[in-house]
Amino acid sequence: MLKALRQALGYGWRYLCSRKIYFVCCTVVPMLFAFFFIDLMKEGLPLKVPVSVVDLDRSSLSRRVVRNLGSTELIDVAHSDENFNQALDRVRKGETFGFFIIPRDFQRNAISGQGTTITYYSDLTVFVPGSLAYKGFKTVAVTTAGGVVQTTLTTAGVNEQVAGTLLQPVVIGEQPVGNPWLNYSIYLCNSFIPGVIALMVMLLACYTICDEIKKGTSPEWIRISGGSVLVAVVGKLLPQTLVFSAIGVFLQAVMYRFCGFPLHCSPWNMVFAMILLVIGSQGLALTICCVIPNLRLSLSMTSLVGILSFSIAAYSFPVQSMYGAIGIFSYILPARYYFLIYADQALNGIPLYYSRLYYIALLIFPLVGMAGLPRLKKHCLNPVYVP
Amino acid sequence: MNILSDIRYWFASLLRVWVREFRLVFGDAGVILFFFALPLIYPVVYTLIYNPEVIRDLPVAVVDHSRTAESRHLARMIDATDALEVYQYCPDIPAARRLSNEKKVFGIVEIPSDYARKIGRGEQAQITYYADVSLLLRYRSALGALTDIQIELGNQIRGQKVESAGLVLQSMDGVPVNSESVFIGDPTQGFASFIIPGIIVLILQQSMILGITMIAGGVSERRRRNRGYDPLAIEAPASAALIGKTLCYLVCYIPMTLYVLHLVPLMFSLPHVGNVWQYLVFIMPMLIATAMLGQCLGVFVTEREASMLVVVFTSVVFLFLSGLTWPRYAMSPFWTLVGDFIPATWGVEGFIRLSCNGASLADEATPYKMLWMLSAIYFVVAWVLRRVSFGRHRVKTLRPGSKN
Repeated sequence: MLKALRQALGYGWRYLCSRKIYFVCCTVVPMLFAFFFIDLMKEGLPLKVPVSVVDLDRSSLSRRVVRNLGSTELIDVAHSDENFNQALDRVRKGETFGFFIIPRDFQRNAISGQGTTITYYSDLTVFVPGSLAYKGFKTVAVTTAGGVVQTTLTTAGVNEQVAGTLLQPVVIGEQPVGNPWLNYSIYLCNSFIPGVIALMVMLLACYTICDEIKKGTSPEWIRISGGSVLVAVVGKLLPQTLVFSAIGVFLQAVMYRFCGFPLHCSPWNMVFAMILLVIGSQGLALTICCVIPNLRLSLSMTSLVGILSFSIAAYSFPVQSMYGAIGIFSYILPARYYFLIYADQALNGIPLYYSRLYYIALLIFPLVGMAGLPRLKKHCLNPVYVP
Repeated sequence: MNILSDIRYWFASLLRVWVREFRLVFGDAGVILFFFALPLIYPVVYTLIYNPEVIRDLPVAVVDHSRTAESRHLARMIDATDALEVYQYCPDIPAARRLSNEKKVFGIVEIPSDYARKIGRGEQAQITYYADVSLLLRYRSALGALTDIQIELGNQIRGQKVESAGLVLQSMDGVPVNSESVFIGDPTQGFASFIIPGIIVLILQQSMILGITMIAGGVSERRRRNRGYDPLAIEAPASAALIGKTLCYLVCYIPMTLYVLHLVPLMFSLPHVGNVWQYLVFIMPMLIATAMLGQCLGVFVTEREASMLVVVFTSVVFLFLSGLTWPRYAMSPFWTLVGDFIPATWGVEGFIRLSCNGASLADEATPYKMLWMLSAIYFVVAWVLRRVSFGRHRVKTLRPGSKN
């Protein structure tokens, strides 16, 4: 048994080293992707969204509003337009992500109390800059209104201090716990980098198992492993587990140490989560291989699951808001459980007790895969390749 | 005379390649899966995932240290918003945190004990909202709702104060400066409406690349089996072969494009205000550039399935390079340049503005020209690669008409 395992491991290791593409898949791709991601969003937030302003009033007050717009860190008043159409054209050309319109007779109507309306347009075809532009516009619009109210109140004889608090009698302060900078890099790297690792783990596991069946070498593979399909699969997948886990933990070190992403738990919690993610993803891939032991079909299936997992694992849109019939699929994805562990442990730093089920769930995947092994063995012994 | 017959030969071989490529596409279940099933199913699946569009009734806990009519009014206002729902009143912060740890709530509102007193005295009252930011979309929708409450509550309190102080201010009937916010491109602020128009363009590119590299993998497997030549290949000049294949892929993709870019947004009533002819004309060079890019990559593929290992994950990279999530103006020049070479970058950029913002083709002149440029670049690259890698086997190619 031990000898068979040793043989199987040697076979699996030699197999992994036999082609460049395997090496590329388990080391180059995750590293390159992590570098891409971390470097792409290193600024955290895409501040200084280019916008334009349409000042139809050209009064001292409207110029002050324009100056206020320019001093917000969120937006960059890149253009000053003559009218609505010109500003909208800029959005359509992709030069700006929104515009701010100060109406005619703005100053007169505001001071005299006749009422006037500032309108701002934010382009949400690209969510993040659109939202930031909206936030910047809204802040300036509200403070402008406040300034006018304050002037009116003080001229009516209200104490300046009272008038000040009357501008904003209630303030709701937001405290984004764990990521107070709302840093996009922290938010996305922590989900997408493990997501890509899970995807590559699954693809490679699926490819290396079914490739034996395609090439017709699977009887030999089982024979080397002493006739046990379990030993064969462990021998083949364990070297990959080691390589992927090492890469995964290295990338965690890069994120939490080098980049200083929040890690509010013991590093071991995340290290274990990463190793379990690799094993869990291999378990899922193994399950797929057992159900469809055909290289092309199972690889297509794995790609399908792997790519959809970026969406269904709810890295951006919460499962709770999805349709129930769709959201339920998030529970069959190892990447989802890793994400939940990350949110609990690294980001929020809550007691390990609350994440216990996620760790267990990751352990169930390989067990499910094992249940299908007899079927895989049958196909391995009689390899039929359907092109 | 010689030139004429060369030209005739060129066109004849182009036609033969074109016809043969159809046979290769339709004779291969894997390619059919990528060319037809994938663009047919994926857009629907993706839209179904995101179709609820916005986060409604996000459960929050309220820790009310004030326990006054004013604080309850605030809690009611929070509960009444579209985005938030008061899940439970908690006696203190630890109790609320427990709920948060159990994922029962995703935010905690803490009302201080002096809330009502401060309002009564005309001082500024501070409320704190502790937000879970594992998903920024949740934070975003809570933030929007709370900002609206803050403004609304401020107006209410100010109105009362001014009235009770006996001031009659003309401007206080309303607010002297109102503001109105308009969202363009995605007026409902929905997530599906934002992301799907970009994703469907990417699906067109990725499915085509996967299909083409799979065909190329089949070619190189056949060449390996037959000592260097592919019995199904047609002897043709490299340029005729490239264009013939591209024509075949285009014909396959015209119905798919119409479905993906036109019917899918209609089916799910996503923002779709553009002119159908304009974006079909616009997307044409993207399909050509993609077909050429696929043929460049195909040269390196040695096995039918191997391409999947590498191509699949690039979808995520391309999605981010397109600037849909992280805008292109904030990228470093290096990544902008990398993105410039991906057809979908320009395709996504142009299509979302044509389809969601109602831009005209003239507005999208830059992406449109870039796509034609990419088509030309990848054609030349594919031509060179083909000459280099297939050139030495040309003599070995079987006579036209022979079967495998």
